[in-house]
Amino acid sequence: MKAGGLLWLSLAAACTPPDSLVPPGSLVIAFEAAPTTLDPRYSTDEKSSLIAELLYHGLTRLDEHGEPVMDLAASVQILDRTRYVFRLRPDFSFHDGSPVTAADVKATYESVLDPKTASPKRESLTVIERIDTPDERTVTFTLREPFTPFLDSTGLGILPATELGKNTRNVTVGCGPFRLARFRPGRDIVLAAAHGHPEGPSHLPGLVFKIIPDDTVRALELHRGELGLVQNAIDPDMIPWLRNQADLEVLSVPGTTFHYLGLNLSDRHLGRKQVRQAIALAIDRDAIIRHLLKGYGTPATGLLSPEHWAYATDVTSYPYDPARARELLDEAGFADPDGPGPLPRFRLLYKGSMLQVRRRFAEVLQEQLARVGVALDIRTYEWGTLYSDIRRGNFQLYALAWVGVSDPDIYYSLFHSKMKPPRGNNRGGYVDTEIDRLTEIGRRTADRAQRRDAYTAIQRRLATTLPVVPLWWAPTVVVKTRRLHSFFPQSNGTLRSLKDAWLDPH
Amino acid sequence: MRALLSNRAALMIPRLLGIVTLVFLFIHFIPGDPVDMMLGETAQPADKEALRRALGLDRPLLEQYARYVGGLMRGDLGHSLSFQSPVSQLVTSRYPATLELALGAVFIALLAAVPLGVLAAARPGTLIDRASVMFALLGVSIPNFALGPLLIIAFSISLAWFPVSGRGGLAHLVLPALTLGLSMAGILTRMTRASLIETLREDYVRTAHAKGLPAYRVLLTHALPNALTPILTILGLQFGTLLAGAIVTETIFAWPGIGQLTVNAIAARDYPLAQGCILAIGVGYIVVNSATDLLYTLIDPRVRSEGRND
Repeated sequence: MKAGGLLWLSLAAACTPPDSLVPPGSLVIAFEAAPTTLDPRYSTDEKSSLIAELLYHGLTRLDEHGEPVMDLAASVQILDRTRYVFRLRPDFSFHDGSPVTAADVKATYESVLDPKTASPKRESLTVIERIDTPDERTVTFTLREPFTPFLDSTGLGILPATELGKNTRNVTVGCGPFRLARFRPGRDIVLAAAHGHPEGPSHLPGLVFKIIPDDTVRALELHRGELGLVQNAIDPDMIPWLRNQADLEVLSVPGTTFHYLGLNLSDRHLGRKQVRQAIALAIDRDAIIRHLLKGYGTPATGLLSPEHWAYATDVTSYPYDPARARELLDEAGFADPDGPGPLPRFRLLYKGSMLQVRRRFAEVLQEQLARVGVALDIRTYEWGTLYSDIRRGNFQLYALAWVGVSDPDIYYSLFHSKMKPPRGNNRGGYVDTEIDRLTEIGRRTADRAQRRDAYTAIQRRLATTLPVVPLWWAPTVVVKTRRLHSFFPQSNGTLRSLKDAWLDPH
Repeated sequence: MRALLSNRAALMIPRLLGIVTLVFLFIHFIPGDPVDMMLGETAQPADKEALRRALGLDRPLLEQYARYVGGLMRGDLGHSLSFQSPVSQLVTSRYPATLELALGAVFIALLAAVPLGVLAAARPGTLIDRASVMFALLGVSIPNFALGPLLIIAFSISLAWFPVSGRGGLAHLVLPALTLGLSMAGILTRMTRASLIETLREDYVRTAHAKGLPAYRVLLTHALPNALTPILTILGLQFGTLLAGAIVTETIFAWPGIGQLTVNAIAARDYPLAQGCILAIGVGYIVVNSATDLLYTLIDPRVRSEGRND
């Protein structure tokens, strides 16, 4: 076997040229899906955003509680609630060596605001009326009207004005702790430590993000030592096995990703509050988390997780109670025609993606709803078709997750009556004047205590009216080599701490 | 031969036009809106309309089709909506990987199937024949999603001979090519055996034996070339299918081929990229099948004479 191994290793060595673009000693990280673009004006998917945080700096960034803190900006002054004056740090340079100036900030934001750019980030910035640069270090944003969540939108990665002038759709020159060395779409992304970063050079010489779509293969690559880090992309069934590997460790912190059951409120059954509450009571979240997620989840009470500054503790929750669920369904007028017999009270159609965990969840949901007399038909679709159906309101039930929840103004987009598709994300068609009023207060009030009060009231009301059924908050789960030190998983999944992480030599 | 070549080349044009038309219609009729995918759910309807206009998606379907075909005539496959890159660049960056994997799989399949099929045909009913039947049965019945991980566990994890995934040198190619090649080898082994046994019953083979030629010579130089035609047909079809991207194998081995790119493009409703990928696959399929037709003429004189009669 040894002779055979040596033969093949020599073959491999002879046929695989050394990769000159990968800095020796780089940390290899696996992604299950490929980022589509690394230009921060276009990147919206989770993977692109994770890499963007390492390549670019924005004026602000979000901390682990979802609050904006200064990043490229040294300070911000808010004048009469519509003018935001950012003072830039003087010590940042782009990877091409040019200093980061107010002109670059202005050019980046104006590029996103230009409809010709067709940036998906334009909508969140259309509140900007004017951008002024009184000097090289000062940028003033003038808003059309007071908009408290504005700071949340100032995390946009800043690009050099000279690069933006070239009118390409792939600008990747940033000022972050790493620079882009190679991007092979669908295959890998290589980052190299950037010289001259004001917070000191990264200890890791480089990062290689490999795209490995298969769950089992990612786990096997970890086992073999080919990968140094995988975050939120390991099948829960694999984690106990990986935990037993001497060279690996599993870390987990509570996360902000909110899994929920979406409901079409124009449906004759789901439009009834008692039915929605009955569904919430019929779901045994603890069992799902214990068996399906192997303990990696926390029963959710709403969109905001306990880590969030605006999280409300005293909201109605729905512990597993099938008896109460049956009572509520009876009260709603949907009596069980044959008691414990096979005939259901009514049938619902669940639409879901083809992801394995979603398919398993659908089967469990089917079983649990059957216990209270609700029959569930399951249909799985590829993502484009599912998304299109949800956008068009062509569904009864679906399960999805909200990733990266930061400012609670997201409630406006999700539940304000004006935000039904195609304008917003109120996919279930929820209409509630009280929620409309509260979400409007939340986005206009600058006072933190008043905002918290508004969002507490919103959370309480939504927990009673249940336009969506909360399922669980997913934690950030990391499997990493023990050779990697000073990497700290964050609830929002950011990989920023890789800047200060380091690897033991082999 | 020249007439045959021009005939095949002329036939390619309507076939390609058919593919282009079908792909265009198929992509545009499946549910989903590329503008929604690009701008997100919260974009203003006015911005969506502006982008739809900029991309020409507001124009009548016939006009969009004419523009697309016009672009193709100029060699312009368009610009990917999700990758923000030219489609031709994305397709050409992935196609070599698909071709490499397909060629590797065909090489492994031929290496295993032809000798095994010949031996089985030469000694029907013997142990080697039964072994070939077992091999063929296993090859066609183990699905790639099971065989791939099994090969990884055996050769990458236990023996550490090959890398687990990715594309690099020859060592990276072995396991994915073996995964695809073994199932193809199963079919080809059966086909080689059956075709050769039938040929061995022909009168001219009996005559060759009667002339006192050694058995191996009769088998390899008289019978085998004539038995190759049906094998070549299956090989051409299988190779063409592999050029469409072996999505399961590509996913298991993180092989950056055209199959994964096509699936991602369709999921993102990236019309230009999906059309570009399927067109490239179609061209590959047609070229391989035309090449197979030409190979018939080289190995079988009867086909050559039929071509002349045409």
